[in-house]
Amino acid sequence: MARETRTVTPRGREGVAILGIDRYAHLKSPVHRWQHPPKLLGLLSLIFTFAGVERLQLLPLMVGVTAGLYALSRLPFSFLWGHLRYPGLFIAGVVVFLPLVQGETVIVQWGAVAVRWEGCLTVVLIVTRFVCIVTVSLVLFGTAPFVSSLKAMRSLGLPKLLVDMALLTYRYLEELAEMRLRMQRAMTLRGFRGDRLTKRNLERLADLVGTLLVRSYEQSQRVYQAMILRGYGQPTTEQDQTWQGIHAYSWWGLVLTLVIACSFWIAPLVL
Amino acid sequence: MHIPDSLLPPAIAIGGYAITGGTTWYALRQINKDHDPTQNIPKASLLTAAFFVASLIHFPVPPSSIHLILNGLMGIILGYYAFPAILIGLFFQAVLFGHGGISTLGVNALLMGIPALYAHHCYQWGQGWVKKYPLGSTIWTFFTSASALLLSAFLFVSVVIANIPADLDTDLERQAILISMIGYGIQSLIEGTIGVMVVSFLWRVKPELLPHGGERGSPF
Repeated sequence: MARETRTVTPRGREGVAILGIDRYAHLKSPVHRWQHPPKLLGLLSLIFTFAGVERLQLLPLMVGVTAGLYALSRLPFSFLWGHLRYPGLFIAGVVVFLPLVQGETVIVQWGAVAVRWEGCLTVVLIVTRFVCIVTVSLVLFGTAPFVSSLKAMRSLGLPKLLVDMALLTYRYLEELAEMRLRMQRAMTLRGFRGDRLTKRNLERLADLVGTLLVRSYEQSQRVYQAMILRGYGQPTTEQDQTWQGIHAYSWWGLVLTLVIACSFWIAPLVL
Repeated sequence: MHIPDSLLPPAIAIGGYAITGGTTWYALRQINKDHDPTQNIPKASLLTAAFFVASLIHFPVPPSSIHLILNGLMGIILGYYAFPAILIGLFFQAVLFGHGGISTLGVNALLMGIPALYAHHCYQWGQGWVKKYPLGSTIWTFFTSASALLLSAFLFVSVVIANIPADLDTDLERQAILISMIGYGIQSLIEGTIGVMVVSFLWRVKPELLPHGGERGSPF
């Protein structure tokens, strides 16, 4: 779940730090220098390639590529660990019973419970794929300001309305999270104890949800007025980040990643 | 209720993206039929953020607590904007918190988004005949919110069980779905109740947030 400690965000504003994905975007590394559109395309293709790996023989190569990429990005290990913990628990919950039900080769048996070799191999495959995909996702979104990554998605053909909605949602997410915490703190100070499932508690929490919706709606009307005043929707001279102006360095990064991705698809045919 | 990375085969993950792409295109086409779609962008975006934040609120279900999905309520309030809103919300959850995943985003968006669109149509359809009866409105809002969650849960459990690489037989598969649905059934009751309470609150405080809200009196 979200980390909800009060802290000073990278933007210098005190708030609820739920948006810490780009806290290391200021680092200098070869991956940080890689421009957004080719980086998005390259690393997304790598993510989908990893999702398709079915051969155990390819796992060391996949781990090697991922580790190399993460080392190149110079992101700290604690950052990766922080993002692996919670989804890792879910994956563990799903795959933990696989060694008990999949396959026929029994390696350990306690009474009626038998651990099977094929199930263990499947667990290794799923967990390794999961760790590699999450790591590459972190490198993708952790090595650039998140807003720039969102804007770069336009260059992959995402509709303008979707990108604008994502940018605005991201802009106000932290503010609304802070508002929610303030309101919940006020409820607690007025004697609300939300540890029992009662009609009264549900009503208070539903009022909290309703108030959040009303406040965000009222704010959206002010935001719309401000956007219109600033010329939103009018023709602009500002260039979207497109494929023009991409450095040779970034192109080579894309080519290298695509070659690696292709090799993962070709390898099962020759192995 | 998010499928994490690496659990689904690539054909399903890519197929999920393809169907999500088609559904997004359809939703955007409906949105562009508005007289001024630009005007609704800030409203939909901030409500998306509000729903995202609201889904972080923990509701007590002793001995533990749950967080709500609210996709039925999103469908009721946001209409066709609910699908892009859910897509964006799931993308943020995958990137910021690691809930769900980038490769499974398409499938997850369908699991949550299709029931939200169903809730939108279901609620609109019901308004024609329950608006005069307070109890009818309450029941219909409850049904819409709860059934949207149940539909999501059913799709989620079916996709997960169908794609777990275990040699489950049909009976075991059916039992696993049934057991999972009991837990989600309890959550759907809470989700339906919260849906009724929030919609009733909005009718009293800000009826223009609801479909046709400014045009007629509260049925609650």
